[in-house]
Amino acid sequence: MMPSHFFYLLPEIWVGALALLILLLDLRWKGRGHTKLGLMAAIGLLPVLPLLCMQRQLDTLELLHGMYRIDSAALLFKGIFIITSLLVILMTREISKTPAAAQQAHGEFYLLILSATLGMMFVASAADFLMLFIALELITISFYVMTAYLKTDLRSLEAGIKYLILGSIASACFLYGVAFVYGSSGSIRFVEIRQFLQETPFSAGCLFGLFLILGGILFKTAGVPFQLWTPDVYEGAPTSVTAFLSVGSKSAGFLVALRVFHELFISSSADWAPVLVWVAGLTILYGNLGAIPQKNIKRLLGYSSIGHAGYLLIGLACPSSLGSTAMVFYLAGYLVTNLAVFLVVTVFSSHTGSDEIKNYAGLSKRSPLLAMVMFIALLSLAGVPPLAGFIGKFMLLLGALSQGHLTLAIIGAVAVVISLYYYLIVVKVMYVDRAEDSSPVPVSLPMRLALLFCLLGILGIGIWQEPFLSLSFAAVKGLF
Amino acid sequence: MEQTSLLFYILSSFAIAGALGVIMARHPVYAVLSLVAALFSLSGIFLLLHAYFVAAIQVLVYAGAILVLFLFVVMLVDMAPERLFRLRTNMLNLGGALFGLVLLWEIVVAACFFTIAPPATGAGTEGTTAAVGALLFTRYALPFEVASLLLLAGIIGAIVLAKKRL
Repeated sequence: MMPSHFFYLLPEIWVGALALLILLLDLRWKGRGHTKLGLMAAIGLLPVLPLLCMQRQLDTLELLHGMYRIDSAALLFKGIFIITSLLVILMTREISKTPAAAQQAHGEFYLLILSATLGMMFVASAADFLMLFIALELITISFYVMTAYLKTDLRSLEAGIKYLILGSIASACFLYGVAFVYGSSGSIRFVEIRQFLQETPFSAGCLFGLFLILGGILFKTAGVPFQLWTPDVYEGAPTSVTAFLSVGSKSAGFLVALRVFHELFISSSADWAPVLVWVAGLTILYGNLGAIPQKNIKRLLGYSSIGHAGYLLIGLACPSSLGSTAMVFYLAGYLVTNLAVFLVVTVFSSHTGSDEIKNYAGLSKRSPLLAMVMFIALLSLAGVPPLAGFIGKFMLLLGALSQGHLTLAIIGAVAVVISLYYYLIVVKVMYVDRAEDSSPVPVSLPMRLALLFCLLGILGIGIWQEPFLSLSFAAVKGLF
Repeated sequence: MEQTSLLFYILSSFAIAGALGVIMARHPVYAVLSLVAALFSLSGIFLLLHAYFVAAIQVLVYAGAILVLFLFVVMLVDMAPERLFRLRTNMLNLGGALFGLVLLWEIVVAACFFTIAPPATGAGTEGTTAAVGALLFTRYALPFEVASLLLLAGIIGAIVLAKKRL
C-alpha cells in the first residue's frame, strides 16, 4: 500500500484503534474507570477533525481497487458523524454517573459507539455496494446492542428486540435490492452502475432493486411506511442512544440515499421522484400529527424526528443540486438542534429519572440554562426565522416549488404550524407551569460546554449561513 | 445447458418450499429442519454457479454448525407448539399476505422486462478456494477488514447482552 493511501484511511484507522484501546483499558481498569474512559473516548475523537480538514481537495479520489473514495461529501459527513459521536459519548458519560446505571458495564458501550461511528465513516467513503452494505451492518449491529443495553429495563429490551427484528428485515430488503441492481447492471461499483444507467435509462431490474433499496433506507431514516418502530425504540433506548439514532443513524441513511438516488440513479429520476414526493408528504404528516398527543418527551422527539425525515425526503425528491444542498444544510442544522434537545433531556433525566413532559414544569426556575437551550432548540426544530432550522426548511420548500410540487410545499408549511403547537406545549410547561419539586438541576462542566457548542451552532448556522451553505454546496457538487 | 436449468428449477423450488416450511411449521424443530433443507438447496444453486467454495461453506457453516446450534437452542427452550400457533392467527396476517402478493406481482412484472447483464468484474473466474482467497486479500481487502470489526462488535454485543454481570 502506498503511503498516500494510508494517509487517506487515517481517520478510520484512528477511530478503530481508539475503540480497541478503550476495550483494553476497560479490561485493565476492571470496569471501574468509566468516567475516565468516556473522557478518553471523547478527547480521542478530537484529532480526527483536523485530519479531515487536511484531506480536503477538489477531486474525487478512489483508493483500494475502487472500494473506498474521498470526496467532499464524504469528508463533510465524516465531520458530522465525529461531532455527533463526540456529543453522544459525553451524554453517555453523564448517564453512567447516575446510580441506576452504575450497575452496568460501560467500557463496551463506548466501544459500540465508536464502532457505529466507524461504520458511518465507511458508509461515507464507500464506493461499492459490498463495502456500503458491510459498513451499514457495522452501524446496525452496534445499534442493536446499544438499544437493548439496559438489560434490567423491560422497555429497553423491548426496544432492542423491535429494532433487531425490523432492522434485519430492512437489511435483507436492501441486500435483495442490491442483488437486482447487480443482476441487471452487471456491477456493484458505483461508477460502473452510474455509467450503465446513463447508457440504459430504463432498466426494470435496476428500478425494482432501487425501490427495495429505498425500503432499507426508509427504515434507517424513519420514513413512512417503515417508521412504526421509531417511537417505541426512541422511548425505550438509553437517551444517548436515542440521540445517536436520531442524528447519526439518520444522517448515514440520508447520505446513502443521496449517493444512491442523486448520484447513481439521477438519469432515471423521472421514475422515482413521484414516489419520493408521496413518501415525503406522508412522512411529514405522520410525524407531525402523531406528535400532538404525546406525554413522554422521548416519544415526542421520536415522532418529531419522523417529521424531520419527511422534510429531508423533500430534498431527496428534488433531483437537482438545490434539493441536495438544502438536504445537507438541513442535516447540519438538525444535528446541532436535535443534539441540544437531547443534551437537555439527558441532563434532566439523569437528575430526576423522568422523561415525562409534565415533570419539566418549572424548569425555567430549576435551571435557567437548560430551559433556555431547550426553548431555542425547540424553536429551531419548528423552523422559526433566525435559527438553524429555518433556512433549511425554507430551502427545502423552495426546492419543492422549483420542481412544481405545490401540494408538497403546502404540506410542509402547514406542518411547521402543527409542530409549533406541540413544541410550544413543552415550552409552556417549562416556563409557565408551577414545579412540584423546585430543587435546582445541576449541569456539569462537560454538559455546559456541549450545550454552549450546540447553542452557538444553532445561532451560527441560522444567522451566518453563507459558509455553511457554500460548504454544503461544495459537498453535493461532486455527486452530479 | 438444459440440464443445468432443470437442476436450477428443482433446487430453487426446494429452497422456496423449505423457506415456506420455516414460517409455516407449527413445531419449532420442524421449522429449523426446513431451514436446513432450504440452505442445502441453496448450496446446490451455488454449485451450479461454479461457486464451489461458497457452496462448501454454506453446508459446513450454515447447514452444519449454525443450524445444529439452533436446534439445540430450540430443544432447550422447549416452546409449546400450540401457543406459537395461536400467536400466528391474527387479522394482520391478511394484510401481510396482501402486501406480499403485491410485492410478488411487482417481482413478476419486473422479471418480464428483465435484461440480465453479464458480470463486468471477475467474469470467468471459478469460485475455488484459491480464487476467493486471492480476491479477498486484494480487491476486497478493505471490506474484509471491516467485516472483522463487524464480528468484533457482534461478539462483544452478544457477551454484553448475555452475561448477567460483567
